[in-house]
Amino acid sequence: MLTSAELERYDRQIMIYGFGEEGQEKLKSARAFIAGAGGLGSPVAIYLAAAGIGTLRIVDHDKVELSNLNRQVLHWEENIGGEKVYSAATKLRKLNPNVKVEAVAETITETNASQLVADCDLIVDAMDNLPTRYLLNRTAIEKEIPFFHGAVYGFEGRVMTVIPRKTACLNCLYHDANVPEEKFPVIGVTPAVVGCIQATEVIKYLVGLGELLTDRLLVYDALKMTFIELKVKKDPNCKHCGNP
Amino acid sequence: MSINIEISSIFGRYTNNQLVIPVKGNTVGECVQDLVGQYPDLKKVLLNEKGNLLYSYEVYINGKSAYPNEMAKPVKDGDKLNIVMLIQGG
Repeated sequence: MLTSAELERYDRQIMIYGFGEEGQEKLKSARAFIAGAGGLGSPVAIYLAAAGIGTLRIVDHDKVELSNLNRQVLHWEENIGGEKVYSAATKLRKLNPNVKVEAVAETITETNASQLVADCDLIVDAMDNLPTRYLLNRTAIEKEIPFFHGAVYGFEGRVMTVIPRKTACLNCLYHDANVPEEKFPVIGVTPAVVGCIQATEVIKYLVGLGELLTDRLLVYDALKMTFIELKVKKDPNCKHCGNP
Repeated sequence: MSINIEISSIFGRYTNNQLVIPVKGNTVGECVQDLVGQYPDLKKVLLNEKGNLLYSYEVYINGKSAYPNEMAKPVKDGDKLNIVMLIQGG
């Protein structure tokens, strides 16, 4: 049940055709797992909090550094040296006190991934490395909850939504490929765009509106200012979601 | 025979900022070889020692994934190829 303050706060989105109070209640009862409180995690968390997602569980083991501040907009100079998740939680609680923010300053590993995700309804992939992305993809498939992938490099981004057992997963897309983990170039506006698309997908999924970005990879090239879609097929032999 | 390979802006530094490059070939592999023939600096970025695409790239023919055995996939006049780099930054 929405309070009168919530009805006022979310009035403009409740007005959207097909959204309504019912859609807002769906957001309020949702629990989102956000893996990473960095460049992508910042816009994802800000817009999910603003939209009124009931619970945000944010997991990241990193501490804030000066070199993060060009893109990780949840963190400010005063937060340098502190854990990112606590910095993020402080801002998000001020942005929307109705949202429960669970800050977990841990590294996501094979051992704890399932427990960390626990009873969340979905996983947002805002990580900065492929091994953890693959791990979360597998965790989403095991728990049969959606997985919202996003990645950035320079002025480029990628986005794809995974609905386990129904659509292509991250490993159908990349076939176990890996690249060395290294410092990558990026400007803040790129994760801002990509993270907002991920958050949009989460809201659409929870409310039940529109068509999700499934079985297609969205490739964003800001220097060309193009978005192209590439078709991705569910691989029956995929080690994560297939039946090899 | 007119086939276009579209590459990301990331690779513009190797192609004089040409991001749509006409190539010739009957397979993806032949088209990629023609591409790196035109822009030799791309070779060390895209290909391994055997002349195959590195694992960090995916090829799409007219928007559809060419995986697996992408270099052997046939192409025809008018096709558009996209070479997409795997990125992992967050």
